[in-house]
Amino acid sequence: MRIHRARIAEHKHDHLLREYLKQNLHELIQQKELVIDGKVKTQITTLDLPTLRYGEEERFLAQGAGQAQSTGGQGGEEVYAVGGLLGGDHHGKELRVELDFEEFVRLAQEVLLEELQLPALHHVSRGGEVETEDLPELDDLDRWGLAADLNLEETMVTSLLRNIRERGVAEYDVDLRLDGWYFVEDPAADRNHRSLEIYVLDISGSMRGDYLALVRKMIFLLWYALERRYPTNLRRYVVFQDVAEEKTRDEFFSVESSGGTHISSGLEKAMELLEGVSEYDKYLFLFTDGETSSGDFELAKRRFEEALERFDVVSYGHVNPGGRGIGGFSEYVQELSRRRPNLSFVNLVDLDSIRQALREFIPYLNGEGGTARCGSTRRSSRGWRRSPGSWA
Amino acid sequence: MREYETVIARVEALARELGLSFDPVVFRLTDSEEIAEVASMGLPNRFVHWYWGGAYKEIHAQQSKAVFSILELVLNTRPSYAFLRRTNTYLQNLCVIAHVYGHADFFANNHWFRKSNKDILNLAEQHARTFRSFEEKYGRETVERLLDACLTVATSVNAFERDPARRARRVIYYLEARAPLQDYERYILEAVRQEAEYFDLIQRTHIINEGWATFVELELLRELVSARQWAEVSSSICSRPATYMIGYTLFQHIRRTWGWQKALEVRRFYEDVRLVDEMLTQELVHRLDLFVYDPRDRTKNTEVGAVKEMLIQQKLYKGDPPIEVEDPTGPRDLTLVHVEEGRKLDPKRIALYLRSVYTLWRNPVRLRANGKVYTYDRRGLSTS
Repeated sequence: MRIHRARIAEHKHDHLLREYLKQNLHELIQQKELVIDGKVKTQITTLDLPTLRYGEEERFLAQGAGQAQSTGGQGGEEVYAVGGLLGGDHHGKELRVELDFEEFVRLAQEVLLEELQLPALHHVSRGGEVETEDLPELDDLDRWGLAADLNLEETMVTSLLRNIRERGVAEYDVDLRLDGWYFVEDPAADRNHRSLEIYVLDISGSMRGDYLALVRKMIFLLWYALERRYPTNLRRYVVFQDVAEEKTRDEFFSVESSGGTHISSGLEKAMELLEGVSEYDKYLFLFTDGETSSGDFELAKRRFEEALERFDVVSYGHVNPGGRGIGGFSEYVQELSRRRPNLSFVNLVDLDSIRQALREFIPYLNGEGGTARCGSTRRSSRGWRRSPGSWA
Repeated sequence: MREYETVIARVEALARELGLSFDPVVFRLTDSEEIAEVASMGLPNRFVHWYWGGAYKEIHAQQSKAVFSILELVLNTRPSYAFLRRTNTYLQNLCVIAHVYGHADFFANNHWFRKSNKDILNLAEQHARTFRSFEEKYGRETVERLLDACLTVATSVNAFERDPARRARRVIYYLEARAPLQDYERYILEAVRQEAEYFDLIQRTHIINEGWATFVELELLRELVSARQWAEVSSSICSRPATYMIGYTLFQHIRRTWGWQKALEVRRFYEDVRLVDEMLTQELVHRLDLFVYDPRDRTKNTEVGAVKEMLIQQKLYKGDPPIEVEDPTGPRDLTLVHVEEGRKLDPKRIALYLRSVYTLWRNPVRLRANGKVYTYDRRGLSTS
């Protein structure tokens, strides 16, 4: 058997790299554009031996695009650094370290779980569940009921032939709109998600740096907890400042913070996304610093009340890395959370408050572990909030 | 492998007719993965270190892109081992075989290579095994930390330098002679230094070696392939790395100007610095479209003097800033000096570098650079 020394070396390298990334997680997670093309790009090229280097931009030996005599031009044209001048075991360090976003999230979760000393959760069993991205074979017409012994093409052709034969016109009398032949709901789109999580993030001017880091860490841990419970959950992302927009996951982690704050717009967008949703549990996670524009306050209140009716659980994270007092809209929500059982309010100041937030946001963490059947959360969640829990 | 045996014999015979001489070459048919492995570690049976892992990843990723993939690999040993990639086309491997005989001839005849250690495979294996036994005895982390430090200072080797006084100006030789190390630690430092010298020689002769091999390759192929294949070969030559083309162009120029005998002579007595210094002309610089690029004001300097200087500078200190050891004032004194005072070192790396040196020296280490004196001792880095 051949020993793959390079693979062993690669393994060692990756191990060190993970350690490095873990140590620098707080900086990495703050990058405004966290996800680019589904990848998290880091500043480091790859691990290097700490040999000395020149600091500033230095002159280097280069080659043109291959056309001799292309000289004389200033910049703009193609310049290729002449690398590999040394050969042997000397390698250029050109490969930037990129991680798949999933890998990054896993890494972050590992770090955060360790930091918060949270126990690992078990996956719930997914026995008997069917989930597929493929289109099912269209071998009968109504795939929900009994298999109908009908065939659209055959019926149309027979009808056409009959009309030609009997009436002399090339027409078929099948009404596609009324008979609804193929127009049943596509089962591939009807995945059993079990939960819908809507993340609403304030991206007004103040939300950056530590604010972003805190929210992202919070979200990664939420994912961790929710995924153990709802392995097929559906997530949707909304960002708002003056107006709200739905974003893809990658865009959600690469937003520019700017503009004013209209919490009402974010809530409206979130409720729009509820159209046609039939999941067991509908979660709304709202992260903001609560400084909604003064004109928006009343409207935001109304929308918030409405959201409380329509979502099973509404979680409000007051992003507050400076640890200042709670005012504005957040104060109102905090007050309201004392009366409304399906609303939890958390003042996100630091990692410790994230631990607190997880307990508040996801009641089943508090004692029940991963044993309950799905679907039961909806009814029983109210009673769990104040019980001591395994993630305490 | 059998399909290549006849053609290998033919290439070998042709090479001898050309006046080349070499030790036996053993060809091995292998996959990209092994090539990536050997290329990243430098030798097939070297000790394992995380640093090769990063390189392996990089090369492995490049292997999938046809243009940058490594087509051949040959080791300076007796006999020479050469690797043929199984997924290469027949013509590609034919090129590799011819190219390899160019290298083999260079290994056997070049003044600097003749003196090199042809037994490096056994030496590397022995080092690897000994390191493993050290890991068991002294703990893996201890050995790994030591290896990190040794490899960091190992870039300061100079395989050409024979004068002990001038060698002692380079950090690694100085440490080897004077650092207060235990026996096993000294063994590791010495082993790393020996292997680094093997690679240093390759690095200091990279242009001439690749240039000669490419030159020989084309000489041999001209006799061997059809006109259509020849067209394919000559177009693929142009996509080789710049170093190959620089070396190749210089040898073409030498043969055209002074004839074949002179080319043989150059391959025997020259190394990169001398080759570039004596043979590179303004006309060749233009033909190769080489220039020194300044990213600050985005200007190109196509002057032969500037290009030469840049190439030679790369060779003398391998692109690293030139660091020398100052004459010590006492037995525990170690002061390093950055020779090119005008240029600034990256301050972020200084602490890490000095810590590596300190790991081996175990007494305060000073570095004069960037107009300051950096000191690293058991309290860490301080500046004055």
